[in-house]
Amino acid sequence: MNTFTLKSYLTSNLGINEVDLNELTKNFKSKLVKKDEFLLRANEYCKQSFFVESGLLRQFSVDSKGKEHIISFAPENWFVTDRESSYFNQPSVYYIQALEASRVVLLDENQLQTIGGSIPSFAEFNNKLLHNHIRVLQSRINSLLGDTAEERYLKFIKTYPDVTLRVPLTMIASYLGITPESLSRLRRDLALRKTR
Amino acid sequence: MKTKTVELVAQPKAPHFVGDGFRVHNFIPSTFRMDMQRMDPFIMLDYNSTYRFEPSAKPKGVGVHPHRGFETVTIAYKGKVQHHDSSGGGCVIGEGDVQWMTAARGVLHKEFHEEEWSKTGGDFQMVQLWVNLPKKDKMSDPKYQAIKKDDIGHYQLPNNGGTVEVIAGHYQGVNGAANTFTPIHMFNVRLNPSATAKFSFPANYNTVLLVLEGEITVNNLEKVPTDHLALMANDGEEFSVTATENALVLVLSGKPIGEPIAAHGPFVMNTKAELMEAFNDFNEGKFGFLED
Repeated sequence: MNTFTLKSYLTSNLGINEVDLNELTKNFKSKLVKKDEFLLRANEYCKQSFFVESGLLRQFSVDSKGKEHIISFAPENWFVTDRESSYFNQPSVYYIQALEASRVVLLDENQLQTIGGSIPSFAEFNNKLLHNHIRVLQSRINSLLGDTAEERYLKFIKTYPDVTLRVPLTMIASYLGITPESLSRLRRDLALRKTR
Repeated sequence: MKTKTVELVAQPKAPHFVGDGFRVHNFIPSTFRMDMQRMDPFIMLDYNSTYRFEPSAKPKGVGVHPHRGFETVTIAYKGKVQHHDSSGGGCVIGEGDVQWMTAARGVLHKEFHEEEWSKTGGDFQMVQLWVNLPKKDKMSDPKYQAIKKDDIGHYQLPNNGGTVEVIAGHYQGVNGAANTFTPIHMFNVRLNPSATAKFSFPANYNTVLLVLEGEITVNNLEKVPTDHLALMANDGEEFSVTATENALVLVLSGKPIGEPIAAHGPFVMNTKAELMEAFNDFNEGKFGFLED
């Protein structure tokens, strides 16, 4: 299993010196999460952002019929949280669950605000992360409304190159908003075209 | 000639399931000092020690998955496995058989307990090994060598000592049944109590002994019990294996390829860029299609 650290992620994204970096990360807490363990459940208040150092998480909701809808996957080097709940202090409608044994850094919302106040480059970085998050969500809504299933699948594999090998097809189908049978058909058609 | 000594004896780690049909102890690369670079060209060794599977109408196993950049070698000791791949091939690997699959630029395959065997269940014991390919062969055409038990040449040890079955490489003039890309010796050694077999491989060849049955002593010094693996040091050429009781030992020795290794999941390449390309090609369907 590949492992990344939040520290090296910040070094490559922040252009920060060692002293500031140590100061920034000294209160970060990491947690080993077992496969299937939940970091957040619906109706709880999300107080943290999660950075995945190793392993894989998913964020999903459950509709009134009990069907799961996967909003996002978070493999190594990804952040996942429910900003709606953590920033606006509302009960969450999402679950965040480990799909593999994972090592996750827990970033407290207040802690992030405090760090942003004292290290300007971090505030700027956090702002960029937020805008990137909005970009990803917008593009996903646009894709769900206007793209064909195949276009959505091709975008999925660009975003998550190795997730196809780490989760069951049913979860990818859930992320794409199609049935597992349609996904299987789609992949077969794609393979037939590529190998013909 | 110097003696090749035992570097360490590894005990089997807690088993885990691959799919629902293989209950394996991983030795390579997860054992301390047995990472891919150290064990080159043997980059993965999963050992399904004897385990009883109950009868199952639905065969247990591992569903469709890809490989690129290396070879998978399945050695069946007990039980039967049915194999299918994306090029339309398929075969049953039964007791004593070896399947040598060169994934090279990419195949999809699935492996399940053979249907009839699954219905009765029984003892299951297998080794699955990944053998790395040199850079020049990583993107060559996939191929299979379905090696039946009877195709494997034997050397009879003197004084009714037992036999050395030569899967690959050569032993005392007997040539191996498998073709390999780089020099590899792979033997099943069956020894009667207190019999000894002697081996000689170049010092730099990475060498392991996996004890499948019984107990052995290496160089009359180091005991290796059932289901344990001895890693040989790169300090000499010759060593001896003596059985303290009826023993079956898998002997592996290979010349290191000595190229950079970039590995992630089922792909083993030389660079990170080649790994990304492997994921991309797999996701886009370039490995073909195989029904689940």
